[in-house]
Amino acid sequence: MRILLSLGLVRGLIAQAAGTAFGMALTMAIRVLLGLPAWNAEPVMVAGALVGVISFLVGVGAFTDWFKWVKGEETPMRHGPPEGRPAWTRYLSVDYSHKVIGVQYVVTGIALMLVAGLLAWIFRTELTQPGLQFLDAPTFNTMISAHGIVMIAAILLGVSGMMNYLVPLMIGASDMAFPRLNALGYWVNVPGAILVVAAMFVGGWNTGWTGYPPLSVQSPLGTPLFLLGVYFVGLSSILGAINIIVTILRMRTPGMTLFRMPIFVWASLAASIIQLTGTQLIGLSFLMVVVERVLGMGFFNPNLSPEAIALGSPPGNVLLFQHLFWFYSHPAVYIFVLPGLGIISELLPVFARKPLFGYRWVALSSMAIALVGFLVWAHHMFTAGMDPGLRVPMMYSTLLVAVPTGVKFFSWVATVWQGKLSFPTPMLFVLGAISVFLLGGLSGPPNGTVTTDLFLHDTYWIVGHFHATMFGGFVFPFFAAIYYWFPKVTGRKYNETLGKLHFWLMTPAFWVQTLAQMDVGLKGMRRRIVDYDPALGIETGHLLITIAGFVIGLSILVMLYNLVRSARTGEVAEANPWRSRSPEWQIPSPVPEHSYARPFVVVGDPYDYGLPGSTYIQFAPSGASE
Amino acid sequence: MELEKKRTTPSTPALAQKRAAAYRLGTIVLIALAVLTAIEFAVGRSGTAIVALLIIGLFKAGLILQYYMHISLLWSDEGGHG
Amino acid sequence: MSTIASTMADYRHQLRNNRLGLWLFFISEAFLFGGLFVSRFYLWGNTRPELDQTLGLTITSILLLSSFFMNRAEMAIAHDDRRTFLNSLLITAALGILFLIGVVGFEWRGHIRPWDGAFGAVLFGMTGMHALHVLSGVIFILIVWNNGRKGHYSSERHWGVEACAIYWHYVDVIWVFFYPALYLMGTVVR
Repeated sequence: MRILLSLGLVRGLIAQAAGTAFGMALTMAIRVLLGLPAWNAEPVMVAGALVGVISFLVGVGAFTDWFKWVKGEETPMRHGPPEGRPAWTRYLSVDYSHKVIGVQYVVTGIALMLVAGLLAWIFRTELTQPGLQFLDAPTFNTMISAHGIVMIAAILLGVSGMMNYLVPLMIGASDMAFPRLNALGYWVNVPGAILVVAAMFVGGWNTGWTGYPPLSVQSPLGTPLFLLGVYFVGLSSILGAINIIVTILRMRTPGMTLFRMPIFVWASLAASIIQLTGTQLIGLSFLMVVVERVLGMGFFNPNLSPEAIALGSPPGNVLLFQHLFWFYSHPAVYIFVLPGLGIISELLPVFARKPLFGYRWVALSSMAIALVGFLVWAHHMFTAGMDPGLRVPMMYSTLLVAVPTGVKFFSWVATVWQGKLSFPTPMLFVLGAISVFLLGGLSGPPNGTVTTDLFLHDTYWIVGHFHATMFGGFVFPFFAAIYYWFPKVTGRKYNETLGKLHFWLMTPAFWVQTLAQMDVGLKGMRRRIVDYDPALGIETGHLLITIAGFVIGLSILVMLYNLVRSARTGEVAEANPWRSRSPEWQIPSPVPEHSYARPFVVVGDPYDYGLPGSTYIQFAPSGASE
Repeated sequence: MELEKKRTTPSTPALAQKRAAAYRLGTIVLIALAVLTAIEFAVGRSGTAIVALLIIGLFKAGLILQYYMHISLLWSDEGGHG
Repeated sequence: MSTIASTMADYRHQLRNNRLGLWLFFISEAFLFGGLFVSRFYLWGNTRPELDQTLGLTITSILLLSSFFMNRAEMAIAHDDRRTFLNSLLITAALGILFLIGVVGFEWRGHIRPWDGAFGAVLFGMTGMHALHVLSGVIFILIVWNNGRKGHYSSERHWGVEACAIYWHYVDVIWVFFYPALYLMGTVVR
C-alpha cells in the first residue's frame, strides 16, 4: 500500500481527480460571483479538465525540479532506480533515463492501441450486417471517432518511444539533451489520454477524429474534452521534438558526421521537424473550436449577430479550420511513417548482410518527404468548397511526394537483391511492411488526383488506403522494431514460433481487410456511417473486413503473450544475436544505466555489411577491457 | 581559450568600458525601433499599405533578433556575450 | 531548462544545448502565432475594425521600452552590474504589467466583444494568446528577479537571465507583427 501511494502515476491520478473537482468548483464559484447560474456544463467541465491536467503533472512530480529552480535550489541529476523501492516502480513514476521513458512510451502506446482496437472490434461487429443491430448511431459515431484519435495518439506514443530509446544509443549520447523536459513530455500524455477516454463517457462526440466545425461546435459535451486531450498529446509531440532535434544536432559522438548517422536518426530528425512546427496548428485549430464553444468567439460561425453586423464585421469561415487542421494533420502521417520507414532501412541490411543501397539518397528522402509534406494539405479539401485555384497545385505537390518515397522503395529492393537473406520474425515484419506500404502508396495517387478524388472522397476506399499506409508505415515496422530490440531491452529472447505465428496471422488478414475496404468503398460504402444499403452488394466485403479485423487483433494478443512471457522466463539472449554493426549491440543487454562505459568514435559507414575489413565504430581504449 | 581566461578575470576599467558600450548599443537599437514605429504609424494612418507595413515589421523584428536576442550566439562556440 | 553543472565546460555545453532548445521552441511558437496571423487575413481580408489608435500606439511603445530595459538587465548581469540588473528587471516587469493593463483593462473594454463575428474572434484570439505569453513572461521575470536578489547569477553563469530576456524579446517580436495586423493594415469598416 505504501509502495502504491509512492508511485507517481497513482499520485498523479489522485491529483487529477482532485484538481478536476477543484477546477469545476472554482469555475462555479466565479460564475455565481458574476451573477450567472452556477451550472453550465461546458465551461465548468473545460476549466475542470484544464486544472485536472496541470494537477496530474504536479502530482506525478514532473514539475518538482523546476519548482526547485524557481526557488533557486540545486537539483542534481538522479540516476538509477529510486532508493529503497523495487526497480519496477521507476516505470510508474517520473524517471529521467531515456531508456525508461522509451519503454514508458511504447507500453502506453500499446495500451492505447488495445483500447482503440477493442472499439474497432465492437463497431466492426455492428457493420457486419446492414441495418442497426446493437449500436445506436450516436454510440457508433463516438466509437469510430475515438478509434481514430486514440490510434493516432497510440502511434505518436509509439514513435516517440522508438525515438527516445534508440536515438541516444545510436548516436552515442549519454541521454537526451533535456531529461526533465523528456519526462514531462511523456507524462503529459497520460492526463491527455484520460481526457479523450473520459470524453466517451460524458456524451461522446460525433465528429470523427477530425473534429470539423460547424458540427464540432454543436456536438455533445464529449467534444471539448476530446479536443483538449488531443491538445495535450500534441504538446508532448512539441516538447519531444525539441529534445530529439537538440540531441541529434549537438550530442553525436566524435566522427559521426551527418552522413554517417543511422537512417533511423535521419528519419527521427525529419519527423521531429514536422512535430515541432506543424503540431502548433492542430493545437490552434482545436483551441479555436473550444473558445467558439465556450465563449462564442465566431471563428467558424458564418452567421452574424445584429451587433456584429452593426460593427461591419465579416463572418467566420469553416474552411479556416480545415486549412489549419490539415496543415498539421497531413504532415502528421509523415510523423507516423518516417520513423517506421527508417526502421525498415535500418533492419534490411542486417538481415540481407549487404550495405544499404544509396545511403545518402535514403537519408535525404526523409527530409524531402518532410518538407514537401508541408505543401500538400489542401488535397484533403478538394470537395470542401475551397478556392478552386488551390486544387491543381496541391494535386501536383501531392503526387511529388511519391518521388522521395519511391527512392526508399528502390533502395529496399536493391538492398535485398542478391543478399544472403535470413527470415527471423523482425525480418518478416520488415518485408510485410514493404508489401503493405506498397499497397498503401499505390492507392494514394487516385486520392490525390482531383478528378478521381471527387468520386473517392469520404468512401471506404480512403479508409483502406489510410489503414494500409499506417500498417505499412508504422504498425509493421513498429512490431519489427519491438521484436528486433526486445533482446536489447530485456536481455532475453522472445519465442520465435509465436513471433512467426503473429506474422502469418496478421499479414494475410491485413491484406484481406484493406483490399476489402477499398472494394466496398469503390462500390459506394461511405465512411463513418453506421448503416448501408444491402443493394450495394457489399455485405460479403463487410463480413471479410470484420473477420480480418478480429484475426489482426488476436495476432496482436499472441504478440503480447509472447513478449510478457519471454520477458519473465525467456532464454537469456546473447550479446549481439543479429550480428549488427550498430553501437547499441556492442554493449551488454539490457543496456546499463550509463549506456556506454567507454565512449566510441565513428570511423566508417553504418551499413557496410558483408564488406571485408570495414569498421563502423571503435571504442576508446581503456584499462578495464570488457 | 585565451580569450575566455581573460573574460573570467577582467580588469575593472576594461569591463566598465565594455559595459558602457553594451548599454549604448541597447539605446541605439531602441531609438531605431522608435523611429521605425513612428514611420509605421504614419504609413498606417495614411493608407492601406500592407506590404510596406510588413517590410517595416521585418526590419524591426530583425533588429530585435540580432541585437536584443543575440541570434548569432547560436552559431558561436563561445558561451557569453560578445 | 538550465542546470547547475559541476564544471564550466559542462556548463558551456549545456548552455549551447539550452539555447538551441529555446530557439526551437520559438520556431514552434512562431507557427502558433503565424496561424493566428494568417487567420486574421483569411477572415478579415483587407478590412479592420475601428480601434483606439492612441491606445495601440501607447501599448506598443510600452512593450518596446520594456524590451530595452530587459536588454539592459541582461547586459548588466553580463558585465557585473548587479544594481542595474535588478532595477532594470523590475522596470521591465512593471512595463509588462502596464501593457497587460492596456490590453485587458482598456482594449478589451472597447465596443468590440469576443462574440461579435470575426472581428471579435480574431481580435480577442490574437491579443489573448499574446497577453497570455506576456503574463508568463512577467512571472518569469519576477522569478529571475527573486533569484537574482539572492545572488544566484554571475557574469559567467546567467542562463536563467538570458532565457528570460530572449523569451521577453520574442514576445515583443510577436507584437511587432500583431500590432500593424490589428491596428494599421486594411481599411476601417465603420
